[in-house]
Amino acid sequence: MFGKIQATALALILALPMAAQAAKVKIGFVNSITGPEAPIGENLTNGVTLALEDLKKKGIDVELVKEDDTGKPEKSMAAFEKMATRDKVAGIVGPYSSKCANAIAKLAEKYKTPLLIPVASKEEITRQSLKWTFRLSATTYDYATILLDMATSLGKPKTIAIINENTDFGTSGAKSAKDYAGKKGIRVVAEEAYAPGSPDYRSTLTKIKSKKPDLVFMVSYVADAILLMRQSREIGITPQAFLGAGAGFATVSFAKEKAISNNVFSSTQWTGDVNWPGAKDFNARYIAKFGKEPTYHAATAYESMMIMAETAAKAGGNQEKIRGALKGGKWNGIMGEVKFADYEGYTNQNKHQMLVEQIQNGIHQTVYPPKYVSKKPVYPFPGWK
Amino acid sequence: MTIFLQSLISGILVGGVYALIGIGLTIIFGVMRVINFAHGDLLMVGMYGTFYLFTLFNIDPFISIVITMPLMFLYGGFLQKVFINRIIGSLPQNQILLTIGMGLVMSNGIMLAFTSDYKILSTTYSSSSFDILGISISTPLLISFAITAGITAVLYWFLLKTDTGQAIRATAQDREAAQLMGINVKRMSIIAFGLGASLAGTAGALISPTYYIFPQVGSTFTLKAFVITVLGGMGSIVGATLGGILIGVAESIGGVYFGSGWKEVVVFVLFLLVLLFKPSGLMGKSNA
Repeated sequence: MFGKIQATALALILALPMAAQAAKVKIGFVNSITGPEAPIGENLTNGVTLALEDLKKKGIDVELVKEDDTGKPEKSMAAFEKMATRDKVAGIVGPYSSKCANAIAKLAEKYKTPLLIPVASKEEITRQSLKWTFRLSATTYDYATILLDMATSLGKPKTIAIINENTDFGTSGAKSAKDYAGKKGIRVVAEEAYAPGSPDYRSTLTKIKSKKPDLVFMVSYVADAILLMRQSREIGITPQAFLGAGAGFATVSFAKEKAISNNVFSSTQWTGDVNWPGAKDFNARYIAKFGKEPTYHAATAYESMMIMAETAAKAGGNQEKIRGALKGGKWNGIMGEVKFADYEGYTNQNKHQMLVEQIQNGIHQTVYPPKYVSKKPVYPFPGWK
Repeated sequence: MTIFLQSLISGILVGGVYALIGIGLTIIFGVMRVINFAHGDLLMVGMYGTFYLFTLFNIDPFISIVITMPLMFLYGGFLQKVFINRIIGSLPQNQILLTIGMGLVMSNGIMLAFTSDYKILSTTYSSSSFDILGISISTPLLISFAITAGITAVLYWFLLKTDTGQAIRATAQDREAAQLMGINVKRMSIIAFGLGASLAGTAGALISPTYYIFPQVGSTFTLKAFVITVLGGMGSIVGATLGGILIGVAESIGGVYFGSGWKEVVVFVLFLLVLLFKPSGLMGKSNA
């Protein structure tokens, strides 16, 4: 009798991984495919495309259900509901922006569908004791702290001006910067929140120039980063450092604008030359396939899809099991070590190591923390050419 | 004081381009009584034209308007002849749906052809400026303001002095009476829409060295053009010029004294005040 149970158990243990590998898993993916954040959304899509290739090599066949939220929270919510109820996906990866991610975080709870957020950074998203929402990326607080840590380790800044767009990501980033600047004894001399998409920031920047800040901290998506820096150059703002909190400042198109991007710092979740397992290889494959450099958004989306699909395949699509496996699991891939932990009011939040990169002659170079450095930082800002 | 002057001057310079966008919309409205919700998208098409003329043929954005203007004129004329002429005099909601639809086709067509990537047109002077008494004046903005002023002057001359211009004004004043006087109103409509489109396209060309280009960029400007036109008085070109500059200055000064997040509020409060005290707009004549 006992032998029979043992044999069955053994057979089950042997069969389970096989069954899981053969089985198809259905994963949802929400992203900004069109709309104003589409250029960043494209990075996420490409990251996921590479993840699907690698999953296939591992014998995991993912049936991807793709939804476009156009950067609007209500569309993100509709997409989530559709994928959770009609498509019956095992888990969902996405969406891109903080406003969308924050909107659907609670839906994951309602539909008991595991949600893995790759990159949206607003702090509150994982601070609502949500059991079904996981986040791979660091939070806006980490964006601000790593930049200010770097600035204070390189110089003695006393004042800071904060410019942010008035979106979830922007305001959250600005708030974090203000809090942490206070802790570091840096005085906030100007705080400006702007509505994105305006052609003229000159008046705001003039006001900031008159306060002569040592640091200029900016939180902006894609193209506003370029406009802000262009007009900063026009107005002639010369702080000790320009600090860009991710997003627009981490993009390739920003770096290409050498006249304005040179020596700007940007906090990032990932760089192409970081020594996490497979990161350099991912970078090379991405360039070969898509003809441009990946941003950190691509890397987070890749890793999130890998984790979600593998976990879902192992759990045979059982959502309660997937949640348990995400909660208890540990990974070490192109985003470094990943573990979803509960700490400082966060739930299911990966304590991700942020990096600082500086644009030097059109190329993003990792300059902080010292452990990951590829080039020496240029500090203070040498002035405009 | 420097800050005030700085924001005033940037406001006026940006306002000049706004005015050009508003004038285009107001001409179209004046002649056809159609609100063109595709106006921002026409501007976007102008931006893409300028961008590719610059990257492929190395034609300076400010010089490229001699190509963009006639091309956009033809494009606008084509849209009028093929689509809008059919619905003149029909229900307003049909006109709105048609122009919105045209705008969607344009923005999505462009997205299909050139992807949704942001395009940045960087010329040698894109972020250059010069200093007068501590006030920095953006070179590209100043050039575009000068060009706008020139175009507006020529446009006034055209509408006031030439036969075609007078015919357009006659059509705008009273379509039926103009027709009875032997004016080919359909032709005038084609010219007017062509003019409107070419002005929008030119505005696009003028801001492309300092702004960024993507398929959905139009919607911001459609709204702005609409506010400018209504503020100035629908159909009034002087009003649109004034309105454009007023909005530019209000945004700029509002951004400084109330915070950048509040500048839209300042603009719309101003807009509401004008409508409250002068419902027909600054230069508008109220017609029954």
